[in-house]
Amino acid sequence: MKDLTAIVKGNEEIAEKIYMLTLELTEDVGAVRGGQFVNLSVGDGSMLLRRPLGVCKTDGRLLSVCYQVKGRGTERLTAAKEGDELKVLLPLGNGFLLDKYKNIAVIGGGVGIFPLIATIREHCADKNFYSYIGFRNKSAVCLLDELGKSKSLTVTTDDGSYGIKGNAVSAYFEDVNKPAADAIIACGPPVMLKVLKRELKEHGVNIPCFVSLEERMGCGVGACLVCVCKKTDGENARVCKDGPVFDINEVEL
Amino acid sequence: MADLKIEICGVKLKNPVIAASGTFGFGREYNEIYDISVIGGVSSKGMTLKPRLGNAVPRIAEGYGVILNAVGLQNPGVEHFIKHDLSFLREKGVAVIANVAGSTLDDYGEICAALNGLADFVELNISCPNVKAGGMAFGIKPESINEVTRVAKSSLTKTPLMVKLSPNVESITANARAAEKGGADCISLVNTFTGMVIDLEKRKPVLANNTGGVSGAGIKPIAVKMVYEACQAVDIPVVGMGGIMSGEDAVEFMMAGAKAVQVGTANFADANAMPRIISEMNAWLDNHGIKSVNEIIGTVRMN
Repeated sequence: MKDLTAIVKGNEEIAEKIYMLTLELTEDVGAVRGGQFVNLSVGDGSMLLRRPLGVCKTDGRLLSVCYQVKGRGTERLTAAKEGDELKVLLPLGNGFLLDKYKNIAVIGGGVGIFPLIATIREHCADKNFYSYIGFRNKSAVCLLDELGKSKSLTVTTDDGSYGIKGNAVSAYFEDVNKPAADAIIACGPPVMLKVLKRELKEHGVNIPCFVSLEERMGCGVGACLVCVCKKTDGENARVCKDGPVFDINEVEL
Repeated sequence: MADLKIEICGVKLKNPVIAASGTFGFGREYNEIYDISVIGGVSSKGMTLKPRLGNAVPRIAEGYGVILNAVGLQNPGVEHFIKHDLSFLREKGVAVIANVAGSTLDDYGEICAALNGLADFVELNISCPNVKAGGMAFGIKPESINEVTRVAKSSLTKTPLMVKLSPNVESITANARAAEKGGADCISLVNTFTGMVIDLEKRKPVLANNTGGVSGAGIKPIAVKMVYEACQAVDIPVVGMGGIMSGEDAVEFMMAGAKAVQVGTANFADANAMPRIISEMNAWLDNHGIKSVNEIIGTVRMN
């Protein structure tokens, strides 16, 4: 885990209000796992909080994160241009640990797809991914080439303007030909994960399912106890340090 | 290389830069980023007798130059700290400041007794704005500050007592004096200012707790003034904090009269903030030909 200066290499809109920011790290930070995230300064001293962003791609010292423009911080980030310097703390969180699994179903929605892409990229040479990816509509569809590194890819949109009309969770459960998987990884809006948990239970699916959660963060390293989630045992877990990836049965959604 | 060593209430610190409660856990996480033995001290996450789960999320929000938090004193309880965290901080050679909160006077007495002789200081949190029972209720009026300080002090026969003051009060000087009269060995200020941020689309406050404590660069001038006033009002040492982001900010608080400073929100903006602040402070002293940091304490002259 290091805090270092990164040089902006690219910052382009890849779908409506979704940007991919590519950074060149000025120091070696070792391997960055899919599902891990970075805590990025937005380059404006009036905003004291870093923005936690899931890693989408790594290639040597190049690292890409994606963000949706939602507020003042992400709006400011869109102004970052090639050559600008931003401070970044990384790698953070646990990431998806998939050593034990070979055939993995991927369920992703909206901006939740980026950590899943990093995971597919990391393991696609020796694992099989079967992806079910949902977007709001056609204008939100992005990175199909990266998602295409899966053995199979099913794309849905809420309004049917691209792919199958519906969502990623229903596409997974309705796929009568889905290959047998020994684990599921998922990331997406809270409601998607909630429905996924319910459906897994209703369908009696008992393979391990790992979900990556999102929460407003302070320090990003586990010290401030700002970004907690409820565990099923009644305790709190820190999304930044104990997660962001949890076994779906371990957390309340 | 200026001499940064200071001494407060007989406790020697290698430098005057202390991690502020609630931003630094019990030190372990930041120790993965740098060796925390370089900092002067750590004020622990605010602890209660029994573990607490804290408030619902979101617990954090942002404004211009400030953040708001409403964690609500989530902590593993004081016994957990004594068993699992104290020895780690001791081995790091930092001054250990056990920050404690209670809902009743008896809570304060009991938790102080548990820490007596174990920590370098007990810092009394009587100014947490984010819990419903206790905390802040003790920190508003001079009479209750005096009373809770007396109770805590009677349990602390071996460990100096630091009383942390709230800025959300009528008179910071009256409250500082009340703590001193109650037996505080030193005081620290300021805790966070209460505030609120509204999400316009939802027409609801961003924080689940609705309100939270405002901290960060934007509160610094208010904090400097309050620290100055408190230093004028009491004879016991004062530890200053509120929006310190740089070594110069730390020097400013010390010129206002603080013997040491605490750094909180800066840790979120920059994980290496504290070692940076220490080296910037050192550079400032060197550039001004000042040999010891003690020489700048309380040297501000009013116009």
